[in-house]
Amino acid sequence: MSQYIDFAVLWKVLLAGLLGGAGLVAVYALGLAALAAGRVYDTPDRGSGTSAARAAGTVVAVACFGLVLAGALLGLYVMLTK
Amino acid sequence: MDANTALLAVVVVTALAFDFTNGFHDTANAMATSIATGALPPRAAVALSAVLNFAGAFLSLKVAATIATGIVDSGAITLTVVFAGLVGGLAWNLVTWYFGIPSSSSHALIGGVAGATLIAVGASAVKGAAIVSKVLIPAVLAPVFAALVATAGAFLVHRITRGTPGAVRERGFRVGQLCSASLVSLAHGTNDAQKTMGVITLALVADHAIAPDAGTPFWVILACAVTIALGTYTGGWRVIRTLGKGLTEIGPPQGFAAEGSSAAIIFAATHFGLPLSTTHVTGGSVVGAGLGRRLAGERSEVRWGLAGRMVVAWLVTLPAAALVGAAAWKGADAIGGTGGAAVVFAVMLLLAGGLYLAARREPVTHANVNAEWTGRLVPVKEPVG
Repeated sequence: MSQYIDFAVLWKVLLAGLLGGAGLVAVYALGLAALAAGRVYDTPDRGSGTSAARAAGTVVAVACFGLVLAGALLGLYVMLTK
Repeated sequence: MDANTALLAVVVVTALAFDFTNGFHDTANAMATSIATGALPPRAAVALSAVLNFAGAFLSLKVAATIATGIVDSGAITLTVVFAGLVGGLAWNLVTWYFGIPSSSSHALIGGVAGATLIAVGASAVKGAAIVSKVLIPAVLAPVFAALVATAGAFLVHRITRGTPGAVRERGFRVGQLCSASLVSLAHGTNDAQKTMGVITLALVADHAIAPDAGTPFWVILACAVTIALGTYTGGWRVIRTLGKGLTEIGPPQGFAAEGSSAAIIFAATHFGLPLSTTHVTGGSVVGAGLGRRLAGERSEVRWGLAGRMVVAWLVTLPAAALVGAAAWKGADAIGGTGGAAVVFAVMLLLAGGLYLAARREPVTHANVNAEWTGRLVPVKEPVG
């Protein structure tokens, strides 16, 4: 079988896929959750709305989105320079 | 213009026609989920995808990959073989488009070339082991990998944003979905336009129009980029509908998880040199996103019957395109010369015209692509008014 399947490549693709495709996706979701957590919404019991919480939420969100952006750019780069 | 140059011209036109169907067949891969969730209006989505495909075609830093060379003996490749292979791929793309089945354009092309070689030279010229390792095994792995990653992604996304207000969630994931879908479009332009560039370059080399070690001429790159972008803009609405509405109901969180998974796997596979089909990856991702949502405890239905039909079509792609490729070679060879190729090309145009007219009787367009899925591709007509 191994003459047909390059296992060394397979697990790399799967690992990179999981890191980028599920990991970064989850980080983006974390960013959204953080962004929302610090803000006041019409719904009761959601978001305390204190300015400290807001700032903290925004910082976490920016960090998350930055990480996702960096990951996407890295992915694009490694694909093009294959 | 001598006979050989005329034949070369027919081959180039056929290759560009294939490139066009490659574009409209695969619009769905990048944009079906964004259209289904309303992240972008349908026509804006296909326009964005077209622009990114165009840009992607210019992006690659590597010489155009010659798709067929590893699959068949390079000595077996004549202009007629390349032509017949293209016809095989083209025919399969058109038929699957009519039935709204997402199927791999690269597999169709490989099947066509393999079939034409088989009948032109014989079984010895087709590299069976290469077909197994470069085509069949990746075809099984791609949807499985994609489904795994998308299931994990959709599960995490639903869990993490469970308490997030609906408005932020919807909007945030739509933006994310747009970005990830754009990456898939760009990757598609890079990988798929290159296949046609490779085929045209191959034909030019076979005809001694350029030296074997010469790079792809600029006009080839430009023509392929323009054609794949035009094809993408035409929007294969029938395929988009199957992928976006048929397989499972897609909301922004799953749409984002699906496109994120597709983009990551396509990038990784391209980087590590594993030839995965974008179509197989996207199909797996969409199913996986549906599964992940259910895993996270929300209602979600995957229509396994439709997914099964898609998998059957993927299995049939190679032999079916090979059959057409073989028939096209036989036909062109029996009539002979440029005239033979021209006749086969005319038959191809008749098939395309017939399918186009048949599709117009029950059209799927940007206007009804998102209609409720009622178990069939073409939406039930709503009363006007």
